[in-house]
Amino acid sequence: MRSFGRSCRGQGKVFVKLVRQTEQQLLDVGKDITTLGQQAQTCLEKTTTLRETQRERLREDLTTAMRHHEHIRQQSTHLTQGKKLRHCKVVNAYDPTIAPILKGKSNCPAQFGRKPGIISEPATGFIFANLTPQGNPSDASYVLPLIDKVIQATARVHHGPKRSIHSLAGDLGVNDPVLRQALHERHILSVGIPKTVEPITPHPSAEEIRDILNEANLQRKRTPYQVQLACASGSSRPVVESHIATLLSRGAGTVRYKGLEGAVVQQGMTVMSYNGAVLVRIRQRKMTKRAQKFRRLLGLKYPKVSKIN
Amino acid sequence: MGLVRYLQHWLSGIGPALHVTDFVPQSDPIRQWADTFPWDALVNAIEQSFAKRFPKTSTRGRRPVPIRVLLALEVLKHELGASDDDICRQLRTDFAVMYAAGLREYRINPSQDHFVLPTTLCEFRGRIDEALMDELIAIQAAAAMEAELVSPAHLVVDTFPCEQGSQRVTDATTLYKAQKKP
Repeated sequence: MRSFGRSCRGQGKVFVKLVRQTEQQLLDVGKDITTLGQQAQTCLEKTTTLRETQRERLREDLTTAMRHHEHIRQQSTHLTQGKKLRHCKVVNAYDPTIAPILKGKSNCPAQFGRKPGIISEPATGFIFANLTPQGNPSDASYVLPLIDKVIQATARVHHGPKRSIHSLAGDLGVNDPVLRQALHERHILSVGIPKTVEPITPHPSAEEIRDILNEANLQRKRTPYQVQLACASGSSRPVVESHIATLLSRGAGTVRYKGLEGAVVQQGMTVMSYNGAVLVRIRQRKMTKRAQKFRRLLGLKYPKVSKIN
Repeated sequence: MGLVRYLQHWLSGIGPALHVTDFVPQSDPIRQWADTFPWDALVNAIEQSFAKRFPKTSTRGRRPVPIRVLLALEVLKHELGASDDDICRQLRTDFAVMYAAGLREYRINPSQDHFVLPTTLCEFRGRIDEALMDELIAIQAAAAMEAELVSPAHLVVDTFPCEQGSQRVTDATTLYKAQKKP
């Protein structure tokens, strides 16, 4: 039996014997899968009656089955050959995409699960995109994929002015020089991402605005007015916690569906449901004064209440 | 006249349809929530994705449950915090849920659209992949941007942990475990 962490935080024990027995059954069942999988792939290539889509789907299934067995075999080797268990490596033999989601807490059992990321509008809380990655990557690695998703969403808008991202705010976890450079190359201000624990100035002076634009090399791309709004947005960044709290209240805090695919669907559906509620609030004008002011500064309009959908 | 009305089900078969909108006022929270979604675009995206990934080999069999109904139930489930069983049961009795699912008429002898089994909902969910999920959220965001309700100009990004939930113990899982026991 191996134990993790202090006993006062719960037992946190793993029965290695039980895991060995369970995994051995799986390994016995799947020991021929590599050979059989390769043979099946060869047969699949020779088959002429199948359509290309079916062929592709079967090929993916075979590859997935072979990959999963390899993963379980590796984990079993780590566990059963007397080697020391690497911290937070063997988590769940049946779902290898799960990872410990709290780092740096060596004195208590790690919490296992997933770490979704969201990108939202600070004023209303509308979530433009979410990302549920495999494992527990760094916070900075979420940013560019999320921005790509927002850009794809803006590309679907065919009416009205062209939409673009002016600034991005985040916590110290996304404070990465490489990421800042990548954001500046996409003409996105990174003034909302703090470099220290000091709060961001909500009302920068003219000199500070000039310095921000010079530092990002966006003098011709972004206006001082946009920098002011970016600073105000960065200053109110903690409001994202309320968006997350609302998501958690809708059941996003516990993944009920199976595997990474299930987690992606559950988080996505929760985000869609949450966005629907946000749009209802916007239509009913049930927003904070701060949010109303921010919307006014951005030039967003309210829909006509009498309009029937 | 009273006798004709009394015998209507025998004479005409199914009788007049009840209009769901008559029973769900505009101020109903579920109706307001459902009216924010660009359902047509979402259903089109799912149909295209399914047609590409799961092509139909035969036209025989029972008529499928409309995707509009399944998608609405899946999203509404998270809005109401209900389980698959609960939301499928509510669809049979709650007019607001029928409205959200896109059913506008209710007949005494209901069509198959009205009956959704939890397993059907589970199968539908299993066919949704990450690319399709991202597309659905992008469609919703694009519709909101087009209506000038939201703007992507200034955004904020963050992450949050969510733990893996335990498997729900049902009769099926108990039976499965019992059969597996030597």
